[in-house]
Amino acid sequence: MPVPDSFKEGLARGWKTYNGSRLDADLPLEADVAIVGSGAGGGTTAEILSAAGYKVLLIEEGPLKTSDDFKMLEDKAYAELYQEGIGRMSKDGAITIMQGRAVGGTTLINWTSSFRTPAPTLEHWAKEHGVQGHSPEEMAPWFERMEQRLGVAPWAVPPNANNAVISRGCEQLGYDWQVIPRNVRGCWNLGYCGMGCPTNAKQSMLVTTIPATLDKGGELLYLARAERLLIEGDQVTGIECLGMDERSVTPTGRKIRVKAKHYVLAGGGINTPGILLRSNAPDPHQRTGKRTFLHLVNFSAALFEQVINPFYGAPQSIYSDHFQWDDGAAGRLSYKLEVPPLQPALTATLLGRFGIDNALRMEQLPNTNVMLALLRDGFHPDSAEGRVELRGDGSPVLDYQMTDYTWDGVRRAFHSMAEIQFAAGAKAVLPLHADAGYVKTLKEARQLIDGLELALYRTRLGSAHVMGGCAMGEDPQQAVTDSLGRHHQLSNLSIHDGSLFPTSIGANPQLSIYGLTAKLSSLLAERLKNA
Amino acid sequence: MHNTTLDSPQLSRRSLLKVGLLGSALLGTAGLTATLSGCSASTPKAGFAVLRESDLPFLEALIPVLLEGAVKPAQMPAAVGATIENLDYSLNHLSPEMLKLTVQLFDVLALPVTRGPLTGIWGSWQNASKVDVQQFLQRWQTSSFDLLKMGHASLLQLVMMAWYSRPESWAHCGYPGPPVV
Repeated sequence: MPVPDSFKEGLARGWKTYNGSRLDADLPLEADVAIVGSGAGGGTTAEILSAAGYKVLLIEEGPLKTSDDFKMLEDKAYAELYQEGIGRMSKDGAITIMQGRAVGGTTLINWTSSFRTPAPTLEHWAKEHGVQGHSPEEMAPWFERMEQRLGVAPWAVPPNANNAVISRGCEQLGYDWQVIPRNVRGCWNLGYCGMGCPTNAKQSMLVTTIPATLDKGGELLYLARAERLLIEGDQVTGIECLGMDERSVTPTGRKIRVKAKHYVLAGGGINTPGILLRSNAPDPHQRTGKRTFLHLVNFSAALFEQVINPFYGAPQSIYSDHFQWDDGAAGRLSYKLEVPPLQPALTATLLGRFGIDNALRMEQLPNTNVMLALLRDGFHPDSAEGRVELRGDGSPVLDYQMTDYTWDGVRRAFHSMAEIQFAAGAKAVLPLHADAGYVKTLKEARQLIDGLELALYRTRLGSAHVMGGCAMGEDPQQAVTDSLGRHHQLSNLSIHDGSLFPTSIGANPQLSIYGLTAKLSSLLAERLKNA
Repeated sequence: MHNTTLDSPQLSRRSLLKVGLLGSALLGTAGLTATLSGCSASTPKAGFAVLRESDLPFLEALIPVLLEGAVKPAQMPAAVGATIENLDYSLNHLSPEMLKLTVQLFDVLALPVTRGPLTGIWGSWQNASKVDVQQFLQRWQTSSFDLLKMGHASLLQLVMMAWYSRPESWAHCGYPGPPVV
């Protein structure tokens, strides 16, 4: 039975959209509120402001792709739906950074894990980063509201075999594990969340807040890069956007000049600091782009007798926070354990090596589990951190500098993952590092891991969660915005995305972005009424 | 992909000279040399969006070594062609800055003046043996120079991703392909 493409149906009903790649002339646009970015922060903000009666314009650099376009093919999805055609990396090329770039942003391609911001994280922000009014109690109603809006609930179907490695291994060891809440309705359990949901089950912004915005008369401009904010004194007076070709690679030469009463940046970590830097926005304390965090990820593969088929089924359904707070919020670097889905193209690059070595590893894909550790960076002064800079062509890039403190976390995570994999019945384990091969016992794994030279390029590192870079906080010397996302220097500019976080979250960040930006947007709607 | 700082403590004076002079300088000028000498055309080959005639010899030498074991020898020529086709598609969707760096990497590999000193392959790519290519990859992976380690990682990732996106690669890894919706 074919799945109805609800977005196309909306377009047929007369939703107002502009395709920046197909403009015959420069285009002036006006709105009450212009929002740059259509992901978790931008979509949530757009729905709330348009429901409050404001005319909203959403600006998205990437293309408009809808369920009919999602063919579950890696090459097409990575080229079309990811930042820089999945070529985004840390400046030194050692960390792959996966972020979405299409209408719906990263919500279009994330793996649906939906966690509230952990209480120790919110408490740490209040204590160390001058964040006010976002205690766990104050945030709870906002998380609840967005959980209801997006159908967030613990995954009720049994986990796929790849995820079940975590529950089985942790159970054996007496470690804590839990079921992951997911933002889906009527999920088919296919496993292709990372390539755009072909059944519209994932409650991404594409099928929730953006349609609601367009139903209220809001407008969507896509394939348009917000190049710079026009600034006079303490006011933003406009946004200059560039029409992009249909690949979103090259500007077409057409310009879109956007004028609004209020402006919201929601391009996410890296892109939001990027536009502020390109615009020479006032930054007297040099905070823009600083303290950017990644939930740096390392990986451990394991072979099982039984079939795992790690490419099918809900990608993430089980996690372990057993180690997450084991030395307090600000102690040694700790981590959340999850698994990635393993479709072949991405897996081939994860498993490493080449020729016969890689071929043997790939041949065993159906019996392979991979576990990952999300390292909770940014809570300790010695944590690795990143800084967003501009490249020659004005595009942003993240310079992420590793530290011994962070490498220590990587090593302990390798140990934890191997231990759980063997406890779950793995016959061999492979820490994903250039010098490692599969080993058959935990004892051998421990020796191997203790002896690994943890260095860039030799250790396979990635990130799917860019956070920080425009931190919120009451002290302008430390933060780019106040606790309500209001830019400390520009009175009609807000930031509503993951770049606000003063540290990483310690959990997949989408619900943290939804809850926080729902709150900030509701308060912004009130303020605009009184303006 | 442009951290060119030479701050590695292990870097000897000799390797510094070798890499510093022949490496970073040549990386920067490879494009210029290519243009001036006409060795490396700047326009894509017919049928390609990005790849140039000059990129093909090293790709045709490199890809069979990377895919050895995953592809039967009789099917290797077709697999190389398919990988190159997908690679071209991916490159055509990279951001301009990432594409620029990748093209510079390809120039370094294609131009004799940089290829010899940096890869150890002094003759043409057509004449390079499997062992030559393996040694070149090994040399880059263990280089004390970040730019070469980065180049090594990029080549592996680009090629592996291109091949394993192709349906004809899936039988080897037991992947039945996406389900029908």
